[in-house]
Amino acid sequence: MFRAGSRRTHDKGPAAEALRLVKVTKTYGAHDSAVTALDGVTLGLGRGTFTAVMGPSGSGKTTLLHCAAGLDRPDSGIVRVDGTELTGGGEAELTKFRRGRIGFVFQQYNLLQTLTVAQNTVLPLKLAGQRVDRRRAKEVLTSVGLGDRLGHRPGQLSGGQRQRVAIARALVTEPRVIFADEPTGALDTRSARDVLRLLQQAVRLHGRTVVMVTHDPVAASYADSVLFLADGQLAGRLDAPTADAVAERLAHLGDHVATGV
Amino acid sequence: MFLLAMRSIRHRPGRFLATLLSSFLGAAIIMTFNSMHDTAARDGVDPTSAETLSTAAGVVGGYGTLLVFFAVASTLTVNVRQRAAELELLRCSGATPAQLKRMVVGEAVVVALVGAALAIGPAMLGGQALLEVFQDSGQVAESVDHSFGPIALMTGIDITLLASAGAAFLAVRRATRGHERRGGARKFLAYAALLSGAASVSATFVFSATDAALMAPPAYGAILLSVGFALMAPRLLEGVLDRLPLSGASGWLAVRNLRERAGQLAGILMSLILFTAVATATLTMQAVESDAVEASGLTKSIDAKNLETLNFTVVGIIVVFVCVMLVNSLYAATSYRAREFGQQRLAGATPGQVLGTVGAETLILTVTGVLFGMVAALAGIVPFTLVRTDGVLPGEAYGIGAAVAAIAAAVTLGTSLVTARRMLRTPAVGAVAVAS
Ligand SMILES: Nc1ncnc2c1ncn2[C@@H]1O[C@H](COP(=O)(O)OP(=O)(O)OP(=O)(O)O)[C@@H](O)[C@H]1O
Ligand SMILES: [Mg+2]
Repeated sequence: MFRAGSRRTHDKGPAAEALRLVKVTKTYGAHDSAVTALDGVTLGLGRGTFTAVMGPSGSGKTTLLHCAAGLDRPDSGIVRVDGTELTGGGEAELTKFRRGRIGFVFQQYNLLQTLTVAQNTVLPLKLAGQRVDRRRAKEVLTSVGLGDRLGHRPGQLSGGQRQRVAIARALVTEPRVIFADEPTGALDTRSARDVLRLLQQAVRLHGRTVVMVTHDPVAASYADSVLFLADGQLAGRLDAPTADAVAERLAHLGDHVATGV
Repeated sequence: MFLLAMRSIRHRPGRFLATLLSSFLGAAIIMTFNSMHDTAARDGVDPTSAETLSTAAGVVGGYGTLLVFFAVASTLTVNVRQRAAELELLRCSGATPAQLKRMVVGEAVVVALVGAALAIGPAMLGGQALLEVFQDSGQVAESVDHSFGPIALMTGIDITLLASAGAAFLAVRRATRGHERRGGARKFLAYAALLSGAASVSATFVFSATDAALMAPPAYGAILLSVGFALMAPRLLEGVLDRLPLSGASGWLAVRNLRERAGQLAGILMSLILFTAVATATLTMQAVESDAVEASGLTKSIDAKNLETLNFTVVGIIVVFVCVMLVNSLYAATSYRAREFGQQRLAGATPGQVLGTVGAETLILTVTGVLFGMVAALAGIVPFTLVRTDGVLPGEAYGIGAAVAAIAAAVTLGTSLVTARRMLRTPAVGAVAVAS
């Protein structure tokens, strides 16, 4: 089950630390073919922060997000989301916990083809057993600029529009922590900026915590700070990033690991 | 494209398992029954034995063949429909519709040939065993030897091939055309099946009560009617869905999924309707027949008992076959949904809710299938009973109908829930990652 870090009962408002990982390790495969995707990652992110995670392809960014969001189980280490530790428990318990606290925007959207845009958006609420009306769906979708596409199917939307539906779905439950895996990866500059502003708004206006994986220094510059990942290990941090500073840092990422920073 | 077909079979043998199983079983059943024709045609078979064998092959082999045709076709339809995404990808990478057709039909032909070839051995043994049942019941002289000849071989291979290639062709044509309105061809076929079914059922009245082939027209009729219903499945399903007051997240999702997938579910509904109709109709008619024979007191009771056993054996084989096909196509259809289940879980569905959704979908399907299957069965049973006896609906119909409905529900719910449970063992992030 879940152990509350600070003996909280049902809901006493958000914890000061939105996310904490302690020595999280994850290895895929076995024996010769084993790949260490995460190698003892320890980090803490405060409430109401916007953090970008960067690093070369295969450095473990997606794995980090999955482990932090309870979608994957680390081999060892501790993950604490909004003050509650994710340990053991069945998938059902984890799912119920995620519903209330965590929103996830997937690189591949993961929208259900059988449902309309509006139905996809309110699906998490439906599954949580809440009554939802069309107004709620319209509200959230309007905020991502899709107020006129409620009845469309995901298959009838462009990549950028699908991504925004995925974001609307992540926002609809008003989660404390939002994870986004390359949310701007498939978008043009302008749609990317819209998406980044949405995430920024979630942090600034609603006090949510956002963790976003990206390969784009410009996208990273929207965040409050950037965490660099290389070979499954943290390889530095940059606060108040500018696009240039991030690009510069990325270029030398290999050196950082070598010197153990 | 044929090379592509071969490669795709070699690389993903698992996905062809369902179609292979259906062509194997289908060919085995056809060959087993039709080898009775070969046996009857041998030199030195006395006329009585020959007639019994020909009647068995003609009546049971006849509607058995019709059944196999649609069962194989429905499995293939499910298979091709599931691969719509892959076909779309190929189309986008430059494959022309004609190339796609050749690939899918090529695969179907190869799988059907392999299935039919594998069926030859078991069908020889099966034919032998069937002949022994005939001999044990005294219907065929002990001196007759089993023969597995050209009729068994040709019908087995031809029908399996025709059903596979035909269904694959129709399904791939639909798939490559993209989202278009339902063709008029389907509607035409549905009405044709319903009309010929009705005609076949009416033909029962032409026969006299003691004709050996009396059971054939109502059995054919029930099968044709169920095929007609199955072709109209999407519309029937929508009609049922409109009248459902379902609440809860699982029910809500189930109704939406069924609405979207109504077209794809036609194959499963076909197996379900066929199973219900064939099992209820043939078993009830057999029970009526046995009662009538007993009442007439013509045969010695020991012979009557033997005959009954024989007929139930024959009908049982057919019913079990349809049941296996039902499990087969349901398993195939459910196992293709791993990715969708993963997406539901990532959106916040607990494993219990996913199973709840699958359960609700299956229940709606089962009720629809059993309902229309029963209608088709009754259409066969009532004329048969009217002609054979003086009653309208035999008392056995209720018991058999209830048992068949219970088995249909248990089999469909069991198969889809067990399969879905297995799909849920993969972590959700892994399930959505696999490119299907
Ligand atoms: N399911 C899996 N099975 C085996 N290995 C995996 C699996 N998922 C990830 N890996 C391996 O773990 C390592 C980290 O993968 P991950 O997906 O976290 O990288 P990433 O940083 O997100 O890369 P990208 O920027 O390309 O998305 C890679 O070497 C990858 O091959
Ligand atoms: Mg990734």
